[in-house]
Amino acid sequence: MFKKPIVLEFSGNNMSNYYNMPKLPTENSPKVEIFVDDKPVMVPGDTNLLEALKAVGIETPHVCYHPFLPVSGNCRQCLVEQEGPRGRMLVIACYTPVAPGMKIYTPASSARVKNARKATQEFMLVNHPLDCPICDKAGECTLQENYMEAGQNESRMRPEYGKNYHGNPAHQFIDAKGQLRGGKHVDLGPRVLLDEERCVQCDRCVRFMRSIAGSEQLQLAGRADHTYITTFPGEKLDHEYDLCVTDVCPVGAMTAKYFRFQKRVWLLSHTPTVSMDDSLGANIWLDHADGRIYRVMPRCNPEVNRSWLSNTSRLAFQNFDKNRLPFMGFHVIQNLVSGVKAEGGKIALAAGGTCTIEDLAALRMLKDSLGDSAELFGGTFKKVGSPDGIAMSGDPMANRAGFKLMGVPENNLADLTKRTGEFKLLLTVNLDIFGEDASQASALEKIQNRVVLSAFNDETAAHGTLSCGVRHWSEVQGTMVNSLNILQKLNACPVCPDEKIRPAYEILSELAGCKFESAADAFKHAGKYAAALSGLSYDTIKSTGKLLEGGEA
Amino acid sequence: MAECVKVCTANFGKGAQDIEVYKKLGGYANISEKLFNMSQFELIDYVQRSNLRGRGGAGFPTGMKWSFVPRNSGKPVYIVVNADEGEGGTFKDHFLMLEDPHRLIEGLIIAGWALGSRAAYIYCRGEFLPCIESINKALNQAYAAGYLGENIMGTKFCFDIFVHRGAGAYICGEETALINSLEGQKGQPRLKPPFPAVSGAWKSPTCVNNVETIMALPWILSHEPEEYAKMGTPRAGGTKVFCISGDVKNPGVYEAPLGTPMMTMINDYAGGVVGGNLKAVLPGGSSCAPLTAEEAAVATMDYECLASMKTMFGSGAMIVINDTHNMVDLLNCLGNFYSHESCGQCTPCREGTGLLHRMLNLIVEGKGHDGDVELMQSLCGGFGGVTICPLSISLGGPVSSYTAKFRADFDEYIAKNPDHAKPRVQETYRPGIFW
Repeated sequence: MFKKPIVLEFSGNNMSNYYNMPKLPTENSPKVEIFVDDKPVMVPGDTNLLEALKAVGIETPHVCYHPFLPVSGNCRQCLVEQEGPRGRMLVIACYTPVAPGMKIYTPASSARVKNARKATQEFMLVNHPLDCPICDKAGECTLQENYMEAGQNESRMRPEYGKNYHGNPAHQFIDAKGQLRGGKHVDLGPRVLLDEERCVQCDRCVRFMRSIAGSEQLQLAGRADHTYITTFPGEKLDHEYDLCVTDVCPVGAMTAKYFRFQKRVWLLSHTPTVSMDDSLGANIWLDHADGRIYRVMPRCNPEVNRSWLSNTSRLAFQNFDKNRLPFMGFHVIQNLVSGVKAEGGKIALAAGGTCTIEDLAALRMLKDSLGDSAELFGGTFKKVGSPDGIAMSGDPMANRAGFKLMGVPENNLADLTKRTGEFKLLLTVNLDIFGEDASQASALEKIQNRVVLSAFNDETAAHGTLSCGVRHWSEVQGTMVNSLNILQKLNACPVCPDEKIRPAYEILSELAGCKFESAADAFKHAGKYAAALSGLSYDTIKSTGKLLEGGEA
Repeated sequence: MAECVKVCTANFGKGAQDIEVYKKLGGYANISEKLFNMSQFELIDYVQRSNLRGRGGAGFPTGMKWSFVPRNSGKPVYIVVNADEGEGGTFKDHFLMLEDPHRLIEGLIIAGWALGSRAAYIYCRGEFLPCIESINKALNQAYAAGYLGENIMGTKFCFDIFVHRGAGAYICGEETALINSLEGQKGQPRLKPPFPAVSGAWKSPTCVNNVETIMALPWILSHEPEEYAKMGTPRAGGTKVFCISGDVKNPGVYEAPLGTPMMTMINDYAGGVVGGNLKAVLPGGSSCAPLTAEEAAVATMDYECLASMKTMFGSGAMIVINDTHNMVDLLNCLGNFYSHESCGQCTPCREGTGLLHRMLNLIVEGKGHDGDVELMQSLCGGFGGVTICPLSISLGGPVSSYTAKFRADFDEYIAKNPDHAKPRVQETYRPGIFW
């Protein structure tokens, strides 16, 4: 009897829980005047109140809000008071759009806001364990920061009130003191562990997996104070970006297995650099201590990788200090190159994708010094994929745009393998050509002298006649141009296993007879070969990079 | 007790579940040329003149709500009937749907015409199986009689009604949570704006109305709107279906004009208080502040009077409490209910309701301490107006008002703890001991 329902567009985006992404202010945002604590201030007009207040230096504590995640507005920590038709109302700053002339009151002038935030914080801590001494997030925990900034209020609870630890009933247990506890190390998947007790139900990881990763693998199950994060029954959290949930987690609920209990975060030093295993050049922090890298964290760059980082880029550091090639035989190489040049033999100079602009400048200079007998090659045999829209361009040749800019061929390795008979000497720089495609590269063995400059003792080094270690990209100063044509700066993380190992540009420039003293020096030389770089100075490149002309804004 | 015009409950006990009986009692008379000759704006204006206010609890003027629904948005307009009746003490919608399902259908057709809607959903509480059966039977009859479906009564108007069974969450009575649940998502209230009238179910304009609101429409249309408005108070027209429960002789569903004195309701309609003297009355469901016996003596059952007494009219569910009860026990019940039904979204509600319940439980178990009541009152101060939906206030309000009005009950329980005066000891952690 019933008619079929009207056909509706049942796409995911039609559903309401797919909240809207926050609008972030840009340099071009129109400025509007609002009144904060009765004082007029000019703020970006096309964003939410939280970002607008941040732009004028007023920090609003927040837990669930994340600039690159849809707004869900459930932590209620960012409350401010807004003058409205029905008097002054408490609103959440993260979901309130900026309107010209609006009147806002922050804790600086409003006791009500101060008390409301204090109350919210108290509620958030009611069921949160006092785990800080053993929590991996301690030191960079949002709850800790909010608590230290706004109050350090004494607890009003009695132990009798107890805690209702969030969590799956199946994970609860009785601890040594006889108290009921929630799940402490729930295995969510191959890389992420969940501590259900610490979870504050901010929903960030769920929103990340749903809206950014595009694979809805996490869910909030249950309700009230027994809500808990979980995967679907029988499923695991397994995604190329699943470690990002440990970044977005404001507390120590989501922890990465590789970093768990490895190091207190306040003992780590941070080096801002760029990941050179993909041509997007995801901005990263290399967190290091005791001369080794402990973890890699995404570094926020709204234009490039926002706050995300793929597992591939993140976990690559584990091999940075393994199987390294020592610095050796430099003078032999020098003599060999000059010998071949004197003989009039042809020299092939082949560069790999992780060469920085500076390396390429030195390579160009070496070619110039060798004259017509040298020829440049570059490229990769690895498969070039397509961008995933998050933090990978899919192109394994990181500095491809830089090669183009510097006039170094970026796709002629096949040419090299066909013309092996012509060359007397092959010099490869950061190019694991045998490791990438041994069958094609085997032709290169016909070249009499094969000099390998590489960070690792890889296949190519094994097939070389002479090999010399150079610094890895994580250990050098330098620049790269990513697939969006943004010039990005690499910084040297002091984790090089051997001080004698030198950056490739130093070795190459010395071979050319004009040693670069520093990366800045090398970058200055790069300006000779690339007009786009000529007006720039290495030291003035911002940490978020510089968009070169001709790139897409 | 003056005999009152029955608007919604006229057909109770007359077997109106059957369409023939319902038609004999004057049903479906409105689904006629008169309705289809009215424009949407005329009909909305007509409802606005009747001063009908939403019967679900908030009391928002229905005509005004309808006028917010945008026209020509290019999206379908949905009507959703909120039949997810879960508030403690409320059971009117249950009986209305059980006894008179055709009136709901008739009201929906009128609302559908007024809003230019193509489909309506009845979101019914899952436990109301007899209601769902009754409505489904009525829907089949209405489809067969041509009141629903394609080209109703030979006009171009097409209208379908679907019944959706809820899965038993109290919070799904909140309109945006209801829409989420209807869409198949977790029943959690949405951030507002956008309001459902602009972007509700499947991001289309949606009008969510209570069962009783919709069921008042046939009477209003068959009479003059002013006649309906005249029955109530100046700011809210018509009659109201009250559910009276608790310590009264005849608990049940009674229809009376708005503005009826509370004691008239208790004594004349429900047969008076039994088991003791009147101690308190919850006038609008479990989440409202109680009135003491003195306050109840002067209260009238309408939106304005109860708002002025710092409680609320709510859904008109009166719970009468005699003096044999301790209010702490009742509050503990509420704590149990609301801490269980919190959706778990906003921090204050998620953590606060559970904490209040644990504290109340301790007091009831005789483990309360001096200062617990003050702490609870202070915690409830953190609820006001800071959450997405008002569920936290549904517990915070009672906790504040119970403790303020019936403090002696709490003190009585707390005194049962021999250590009740023991002050809270701040545990201090002294790292110096170890290093």
